[in-house]
Amino acid sequence: MLERLKQNRIRPRIDIKLVSGILGGLIFFLGAALLLPFFVALFYSEPSWSAFLITAVGSMFLGAVLFFLFKPEEELRMREAFLIVTLAWFVGSLVGAFPFTLSGTLESYTDAVFETMSGLSTTGATILGGLTNEGIQNPDIEALDKSLLFWRSLSHWLGGMGIIVLTLALLPLLGIGGMELYQAEYSGSTSDKLTPRIQETAFLLWTVYVGMTFVQFLLLWLHPSMDWFEAINHAFSTLATGGFSTQNDSITGFNSVYIDVVITIFMFLAGINFALHYRLFTGNTKSFFENREIRFYSLLTILFIVGISGGLWIIDNYSFGDALRYGSFQVLAILTTTGFGTDDYALWMPFTSFLLFLLFFTGGCAGSTGGGIKMIRLMIIAKNVGREFKQILHPQAVLPIRVGNRVIESSILKTILGFFVVYFLIFAAGAVIMSFMGYDFMSAMGASIASLGNIGPAWGDFGPTENYAGVPIIGKWVFLTLMMIGRLELFTVLVIFTPWFWKN
Amino acid sequence: MKILIAGAGEVGYELGKVLSQEHHDVTILDQRQSCLQRVIQNLDVLTVEGNATSPHSLVEGGANSADLMIAVTSVDEVNIIASMMAKRLGVKSVIARVRNDELSQADSPLSPSELGIDVLIHPEQAAAAEIHLLVKRASASDVVSLADDRLQMVGLRIEPDSKIADQPLSELAKQFDELEARVLAISRRGRTLIPHGDTQLKAMDHAFFITKTENVKNLINLTGHDSSALRRVMIAGGSDVGRLLAKRLSADSYKWQIKLIEPDKEIATEIANSNRNILVLNGNPTDPNLLVVEGIQEMDAFISVTDDEESNIISCLMAKHLEVKKTVALVSKTQYVPLSQTIGIDAIVNVKASASDEIHRQIRQGMMLTVKALQGIKAEIIEVVAGRNCKMLNTPVRDLDLPDGAVLGGILHNGHVEIAVGSSVIRQGDRVIVLALPHAIEKIDKLF
Repeated sequence: MLERLKQNRIRPRIDIKLVSGILGGLIFFLGAALLLPFFVALFYSEPSWSAFLITAVGSMFLGAVLFFLFKPEEELRMREAFLIVTLAWFVGSLVGAFPFTLSGTLESYTDAVFETMSGLSTTGATILGGLTNEGIQNPDIEALDKSLLFWRSLSHWLGGMGIIVLTLALLPLLGIGGMELYQAEYSGSTSDKLTPRIQETAFLLWTVYVGMTFVQFLLLWLHPSMDWFEAINHAFSTLATGGFSTQNDSITGFNSVYIDVVITIFMFLAGINFALHYRLFTGNTKSFFENREIRFYSLLTILFIVGISGGLWIIDNYSFGDALRYGSFQVLAILTTTGFGTDDYALWMPFTSFLLFLLFFTGGCAGSTGGGIKMIRLMIIAKNVGREFKQILHPQAVLPIRVGNRVIESSILKTILGFFVVYFLIFAAGAVIMSFMGYDFMSAMGASIASLGNIGPAWGDFGPTENYAGVPIIGKWVFLTLMMIGRLELFTVLVIFTPWFWKN
Repeated sequence: MKILIAGAGEVGYELGKVLSQEHHDVTILDQRQSCLQRVIQNLDVLTVEGNATSPHSLVEGGANSADLMIAVTSVDEVNIIASMMAKRLGVKSVIARVRNDELSQADSPLSPSELGIDVLIHPEQAAAAEIHLLVKRASASDVVSLADDRLQMVGLRIEPDSKIADQPLSELAKQFDELEARVLAISRRGRTLIPHGDTQLKAMDHAFFITKTENVKNLINLTGHDSSALRRVMIAGGSDVGRLLAKRLSADSYKWQIKLIEPDKEIATEIANSNRNILVLNGNPTDPNLLVVEGIQEMDAFISVTDDEESNIISCLMAKHLEVKKTVALVSKTQYVPLSQTIGIDAIVNVKASASDEIHRQIRQGMMLTVKALQGIKAEIIEVVAGRNCKMLNTPVRDLDLPDGAVLGGILHNGHVEIAVGSSVIRQGDRVIVLALPHAIEKIDKLF
């Protein structure tokens, strides 16, 4: 014990060796994941197989070298965990971008990184099919190799539940400090760990995730308008609340009520805490249906569906059926931060499109694959506002904030308020940068929130039928940083850029 | 009876005092020298210095031959362990104070009897229950629930404009035939009277009635009070009693509006966190400014249960001055009890008395179900089962030779309650409610 403490004292504040070692393990794992699209390429005998093989073998080799060079044996500390998770996501995007450029599909490496980060962070914003600022015409989505389409969806699916959570579930190599890494990546509360051991919890979460993906795949595949390849891709994309489709027109291309309904339902499910899904499947219906966040989420969903479908029906003159179909699909696509589209909301009347704009500031439940501010935070902030009013009337009253029977402690409340403030500051900063690049008000604001909230489609120049190809290179890097910050829930990334992080 | 009391705190001391006065052989066990010093100086009991969980000390305290052990140290766990050991050592019956009420719930993996405990007492809970009944019956000074809450004994002040003042009781019985009620005792200018047919109720008398629970409302109206229910309750002090009371009130189906004032920030936060429907205020409960800002003048009831009994009385007086309908103060010093009622506080609750009620019930064992000492008058209300050897079976009440200072109140026969009148008859197995002055208690016990 004493020796341990002594060792810890000699250790530098940030143990670069340890960080590199664990990072090596993660890169190795990502390389292994890249073998999947390689097999798809072989299956369809596409020329891009070599790109995948080179990237996969290269990153596996690099990862293995790093891992065995700095065998991580020390105990991981929170600082290092933040650094590892942030770097893992960033390096993961850099590595995952190689197949796009190596196969010659994308000329610009920036575009490739943008597409990969957009995939991993489950944003779903694309640069495909557009003309870039530098005058390069990116290919249409339909023109892409199937293996590349598969890689896009797979990146969603891996990023949805989290690369780290997946690695934890499958490989015991992160056994040491797994909890710290998990905390730094997972959006849910660590108090809803399902089992005493974090590895087992991660495994169960992934099991539920895989199971639900499989069910959706079957349901989509049953419909004649989707082949199995499209069904897999869309199941990946939906469960991860990503938004990449195999078609330029997103889900509109299938033009099927059945597919719209299946995807709508699964978007809704993907916006719910997966730990609660697990409880539901294991028969604990009470903790699922009595969960306040789920109730709030359902209530919000219903309210917005009523508002927007009603608006579409009455103001936009849709038929009742169409209003309900397109209204509810768009509501869930934005609310859960998936970003699929079946209708161009940019053409809606002001009332309906404004209601939808509000949804850009929501997000799924904590512990779901959705991004954004998340239900629980909105709920607590709303309750806090109510409390402030009550406090004015009773200055000396002690007014706790409750979610169900749980009392939210003031330290948690402070963190949430801090999150809220920082979230809007970053959103504003993103919008300012975009407006500096000459984008109009709605485009700048929409693109900033759509990236930070991991939604994808935005407004104006980035509307549901547009893409991000035309953004200058710097702008693309800004966006992909926003996506990463949003996916890792701000603090994990931001804390690294504070001076305190590097100081003793 | 040989009694061992573990714990010489407030309740232990008070019990030692009462029980030694009743001629029991009392030994008090405590490890705090200072507490024992006070006991030795004031009470006629034996003291043993030692830990209640030490077998050696228990034996030294006479656990081998004691009839009763009362574990009332401040720690639940100590009381439980002491009880388990005492039972093994041969104590016949064990009473323990356990504040955590999870143990007495049906789903508890260990029942009290498995821990050697015959009776669990929780004086603070009992006091909270008493206040709960009092705020439900707005104008009563005492409310005792009897015969599974089918009968209630209520203490009421006779207002000058009451319809029943200045009339002999026999007249009243004819006049209000449908309202089955009986006057058991009257407290008049500090003296206790057991009424007869020709006794008259005077204005400002404090009369103790027994009646069926559903008739209590009408009775309260007759004495010139407003029976309207209370709604807004302010509790000063978040100590055990205050907290338990708040919990009880908020669990009620009736929608109380409860405000609780607690000076300690941490306790206040804890109460606020664990009770949903209570507005908890962090402030000094004797601070008039706070009380006025929080609308004491609009309160229906003000209940002061801080640890400081003088301030309980003062703040209740202030509440009374602001025309709060009902004020209840937690007062432990017996000397204060008559005083506070004369200055207008509606009811007094005494934690130590609640504890000794519960213990008395156990000591007088046998057939007694409820024993309750009434505040303000020197009488006890007893609920007792008529056994086989009862000397009063099958005779109309009017022909019974009841001891002086005892009145029959009601009879529960086969699940049917009746208020005792001249023609009532006690059968074997009936539960009988008796009000008795202290000197008559022993005799009553023998009669059954």
